[in-house]
Amino acid sequence: MLVRDCMTRHPILISPKTPAAEAQRIMAENRIRHLPVAGSGKRLLGLITRQRLAMKPDDLASLNVWEITRRLSNLIAEKIMLPAARVRTIEPEKTVERAASLMTDYRIGCLPVMEENVVVGIITETDLLRAFQVMLGIQGEGVRVTVNMPDKRGEFAKLMRVIVDRNWGVVGVGTFPNARRDGYYFAVVKISNVTLDEVRDAIGGIESQEITDIRTIV
Amino acid sequence: MEALLDQTTMTSSAGPGPVLKVENVAVAYKVRGGEILAVQNVSFEINRGESHGIVGESGCGKSTVAWAIVNFLGANGYVKHGSIKFLGQELVGKSGEELRRLRGDQIAMVYQDPMQALNPSMRLGDQMKEVLTVHRGMSDADATKRCIEMLERVHMPDAANVMKRYPHQISGGQQQRVVIAMALLNNPAMLIMDEPTTALDVTVEAAVLDLIGELRREFDTAIMYITHNLGVVARVCTQVGVMYAGEMVERGQVAQIFKAPQHPYTQGLMRCVPKLGADKASSLLYPIIGRVPPPDSRPLGCVFGPRCDYAQDRCGEEHPRLRMLPSGVQVRCHFAEEIDPAQWTPPPELELPPEPVGTGNGNGNGAGEEPILVVEGLKKYYTAASNSLKGMFGMGEKRYVKVVEDVSFTVKKGKTLGVVGESGCGKSTLIKTIIGLEESTGGEMRFLGFDITGDLSSRNKRLIQELQMVFQNPDSTMNPAYSVGQQIARPMIRFGTVPKRQVRDEVIRLLQAMRLGEAYYDRLPRQLSGGEKQRVGIARALASRPDLVLCDEPVSALDVSVQAAILNLLLDVQHEFETTMIFIAHDLSVVRFFSDDVAVMYLGQVMEIGPADAIYAPPYHPYTEALLSAVPIPDPAAKQKVIRLEGSVPSAMNPPSGCRFHTRCPRRHLLPDDGAICAQEIPPWQEGEDGHRIFCHIPLETLRTLDPVITQ
Repeated sequence: MLVRDCMTRHPILISPKTPAAEAQRIMAENRIRHLPVAGSGKRLLGLITRQRLAMKPDDLASLNVWEITRRLSNLIAEKIMLPAARVRTIEPEKTVERAASLMTDYRIGCLPVMEENVVVGIITETDLLRAFQVMLGIQGEGVRVTVNMPDKRGEFAKLMRVIVDRNWGVVGVGTFPNARRDGYYFAVVKISNVTLDEVRDAIGGIESQEITDIRTIV
Repeated sequence: MEALLDQTTMTSSAGPGPVLKVENVAVAYKVRGGEILAVQNVSFEINRGESHGIVGESGCGKSTVAWAIVNFLGANGYVKHGSIKFLGQELVGKSGEELRRLRGDQIAMVYQDPMQALNPSMRLGDQMKEVLTVHRGMSDADATKRCIEMLERVHMPDAANVMKRYPHQISGGQQQRVVIAMALLNNPAMLIMDEPTTALDVTVEAAVLDLIGELRREFDTAIMYITHNLGVVARVCTQVGVMYAGEMVERGQVAQIFKAPQHPYTQGLMRCVPKLGADKASSLLYPIIGRVPPPDSRPLGCVFGPRCDYAQDRCGEEHPRLRMLPSGVQVRCHFAEEIDPAQWTPPPELELPPEPVGTGNGNGNGAGEEPILVVEGLKKYYTAASNSLKGMFGMGEKRYVKVVEDVSFTVKKGKTLGVVGESGCGKSTLIKTIIGLEESTGGEMRFLGFDITGDLSSRNKRLIQELQMVFQNPDSTMNPAYSVGQQIARPMIRFGTVPKRQVRDEVIRLLQAMRLGEAYYDRLPRQLSGGEKQRVGIARALASRPDLVLCDEPVSALDVSVQAAILNLLLDVQHEFETTMIFIAHDLSVVRFFSDDVAVMYLGQVMEIGPADAIYAPPYHPYTEALLSAVPIPDPAAKQKVIRLEGSVPSAMNPPSGCRFHTRCPRRHLLPDDGAICAQEIPPWQEGEDGHRIFCHIPLETLRTLDPVITQ
């Protein structure tokens, strides 16, 4: 899955001259946490996040009520945004895992998706979580089985052969290392149009592999 | 609460908010002495990748809504109240500068006439590149590359070359592709399409509609699709809103609304549209009585009340609200739950065609009747000016545009022959030659035994009187300075069909037959609606009591409800006056509804001819098959084969050798050697049953095995 397959296209963009109050309202009304600021031709100029809108109480403490009002009314997107040079971005042809690792490495919640300095989309934590669900096949009905197997060549093929031989359909698949046992992997497979017992019989019989979890309701 | 809201956004799969949200919008135009409320109470929303249709008759405010979104209302129009939110931001009250930027970057529009959107004095490439170089500051080379990519994306053949051409050098369908490509260059979040395919041929329309569906999925663009054609909505839209007299009267999923329309107006619209159904009897048309009220005299209660068959006292007093039914469809009617369209019976004052006599479609009872018009090997060539110096002095070899080539058919008395085909296939020239506006180049034409191969000057008055014509556009064929009565009386006086003293009575009798009444006698054409003008046009054609009436697309410029009334009227006229008709149309469902026999033309030749029922079922000529698969059917549940013709109709100047259709024929591979014979030899006429003839090399047995195009 690539970034272009799970990004949100046509994100809400604001112009640099939009008042900060308006930006805050747009974010609240649309329940979004990131708002790219773009100039003519959808070129990225910056990014506004909820943190950017948070005022430090210390800054305001020394001001009286009129000064606060004046200050707020002069506050426009341009002044509070994170400038484009400091915004991490990604291209639509990169993989989702690259996007996810960028976001965890820099502890950020979104990446504007760029095609030659033009914003074509945005990918956020929400999009990645959705991609995660899709990959594991949350939409399809079926049996979800977790198998513990040695980290060796041909082990996964054994599991697949069992599924192929029975002509079952796989709606989701994923693997991750077994943290408690070195040299072992977990494979999660979701199979459609089968019963729990059929899966238990078929996969339980595979040599050197064991079912650690099996369920129909995710 | 905040956390809870965030969670709900995460689990919903719909993504963040709609692209466009229109809430309770009213648009008014300031005029002398007040203002006119053109549109009111309109609400709808469009999500990413969704295509929302807006349908209704003309004058219902469809386009006004689109203009309100982009603030193109003109100097005197404004959004009176309500809100239009685009990507979460309010558009109403935005400054001109901000709106301009949005229009350039995020909203694109495609209108009916591509020629108006293109600058005729600039090369297409330069116009397209401008979008990128001006809005995005892209370099010329990059812009060129991206434009070519986009042209290829919209399936433009030879994209790099098209960039160097001027708009007039490409066909209408290609122009519309360029406009769509241009609209998509900036990857807009929303595309507003206002009747984008209305001016195009069915085959081109089908390709453009396919393209729109593809692009919607690929670019996740929200599409607002304005049209009067229910078939088009069924093909490209996911949601649809029905507008009537400036209000949204029904809104919901396309599948639901087509299956069970809730509002009486929507039900009426569905009954107006001829269907390409299995049998002709099922395609009876029921026009909606009356017409859309002008904005300044809308009724107080339900706007549709005066035309509604179910109207009760409450409808006249209380304005219904748009309410949600349990099925998820929104409807503006007090009695939506109580109305069952299956129980509907046509009201007595409705114009319905008479019961068909006998089988009604010409087979069986036609054998004994004499043919009124016999056309044998008709040819019509135009000489083309040669570009060479020799040609200028008239010495060069003459070149011909073979517009009509070897056309033969007969029309029996009291029957209707429908002629269909793409534009440029010679339908209109055929008619012009028959009526005598053009002299034929070769072949024979006999009308009631008289030779009519010459043009009008060689015909006597009696002959001219017997052949009359109804035109497509009644506006341009009526003298604006003559009253309706004078227009109709003129042929009567000229031909002396009626003694002078009785002319007025005769005109009034005709007007009454057209359901217009005496009051129309002194009106001028500008005081009539489109449908009324066409009625006068028909009355004028009938005034000389002709034996043969030639109709050139008489209903294609009219609204569906008016179209139904005119078609019924023509059937009625035919029944009463026993008129024989030749009926040209590009809409295959209209032709099926109307004709006893159908001829399918391509590039000046008849490809298939026969009884209407035979044409619409296998065996088909491959061209007929392609035409049928292109017709948008107003039923999202109907299955239709997808056959798309590539390229456009070749030039009639040097038509393809052998079978003229071979360059685009999708069935050539059925013959040995990929249809080598098609390019070399002129195909034979293969005779089917009941005078059904197909002009094709592929044996009838093979054609018969093909599946029907449409299965319900």
